[in-house]
Amino acid sequence: MEYTIDKTADATVIELNGVLTFDDHERFKGVVEAITGAETDNVELDLTGMKMIDSAGIGMLLLANDRADKSGKAFCLRGVNGHVAKVVELSKVDQIIKVV
Amino acid sequence: MTQAEAETGGEPEGRAALSLEDARILVVDDLRSSRMLIGSVLKAAGFNTLEYASDGIEAIEKIKEFNPDIMLLDIVMPRMDGFEVCEHVRGPMASDLPILIQSGVQEGDQRVRAFQAGASDLVSKPINAGEMISRVKLHVERRRLVESLRRYRQRMEEELKTAEAMQLSLMPGSTEANAVSKARGARLETFYRASNQLGGDLWTVFPVDETRFGLLMVDLSGHGVSAAINAFRLHVLIEAHKADRKDPGRWLSALSGDLYDMLPIEHFATGFYGVFDRETRSLTYAAAGAPAPVIVRADGATELVDASGLIMGATPAATYDNNQLQLAPGDRLCLYSDALYEDFNFPEASLQPEEIASHVLASVEASPPGEFPQTLMRRVYGQVPDDLPDDLTILLLEVE
Repeated sequence: MEYTIDKTADATVIELNGVLTFDDHERFKGVVEAITGAETDNVELDLTGMKMIDSAGIGMLLLANDRADKSGKAFCLRGVNGHVAKVVELSKVDQIIKVV
Repeated sequence: MTQAEAETGGEPEGRAALSLEDARILVVDDLRSSRMLIGSVLKAAGFNTLEYASDGIEAIEKIKEFNPDIMLLDIVMPRMDGFEVCEHVRGPMASDLPILIQSGVQEGDQRVRAFQAGASDLVSKPINAGEMISRVKLHVERRRLVESLRRYRQRMEEELKTAEAMQLSLMPGSTEANAVSKARGARLETFYRASNQLGGDLWTVFPVDETRFGLLMVDLSGHGVSAAINAFRLHVLIEAHKADRKDPGRWLSALSGDLYDMLPIEHFATGFYGVFDRETRSLTYAAAGAPAPVIVRADGATELVDASGLIMGATPAATYDNNQLQLAPGDRLCLYSDALYEDFNFPEASLQPEEIASHVLASVEASPPGEFPQTLMRRVYGQVPDDLPDDLTILLLEVE
């Protein structure tokens, strides 16, 4: 997984690319820090370029959602597609994390 | 292995704790004056456990008797030269003993040849005391580090093996599973294998009453040690919530609530739980984001069962509804974990549910009794894999 951070006037957009799996635990800490330390109230994870996600990856999204919530950020996922969309549909994670 | 040996990885911890000066050094040189010179330099640096050999044949013998930590080796010697000694140590003896070859600076060809023969490093000749001591220390330290890592690795492997056996014992064997299911109108074929020895898949079967049995398959998020620990936690919950087992929706709701209290925020479980009744030949089930089970009807028609549903343990009060599947004699139901169809190295090669259904159908038709999981794996992976990227469970229920 690779990520880039983009800040617009009212939202911080973190774009995740590649596959998000068990092996990305360390790198994902940077994403969580970017979320909790964001200067905007809105934080979005853009998953347009995310090809695949495993259960550990879903766990990281839950963690990101939880940390965002605890630091008072409005958090959502966008660009959910392909394999990621199928996993979200199967696991109903959209009942926990806002997906736009 | 005794408890004490198990704790230290099966051998005494002594060597890694030795100080550098305790290193056992073998000095090989045909000239007595050279041996004495090297010996005195080593002794002056605090190395006192020294042994000497005057040619290659003697060196090989001394390696076996003295078991050195490092060898300082001359090239030109009678009977067997330094290159041959190197080749023998690396070849037939298969030893990673550090070998420092003494070589003159001008002898360029020899230096290359020394490395090709298996030398670890070179020390210049005539001897430069400071350089020689530095190189000896460097290689002894490196060897000690490698040995301590090797011991650590061996110990971890032993521990993982023990944990793997403990985890396997959580799941019923085929005979045990069929003793429960056959008395209640169904035959079971089962397969489970963890990636990296430990995994987060857990399945089990148990009687609900005289005509019904429950079949549970759960995949704890992640894999490896943390997923396995969560599988043990879940196993405790399964035993604790016996009363609700006849009502799948209620049971998964109870398990989910308890898992939520128990697991860190980023851990959760997906699962499928069904209760089969031999009187009605129906399966009442609830699902929490499990891969779509495949039904193969007795006439060869296939159906995919919707097993989507909120993951367990991720919210405080997830609730699960009951669904009903009507089955008939000869119908089969196949449950499997996501490792069967997900390919993270080649995402495009991941299988779609319809493709899985056709693999399941073909495997049901082709497999001899008792070999469905192996037949399915051979179809999907090309073989029964030794090494899996994720934990894999395959369960087949056949209505009798």
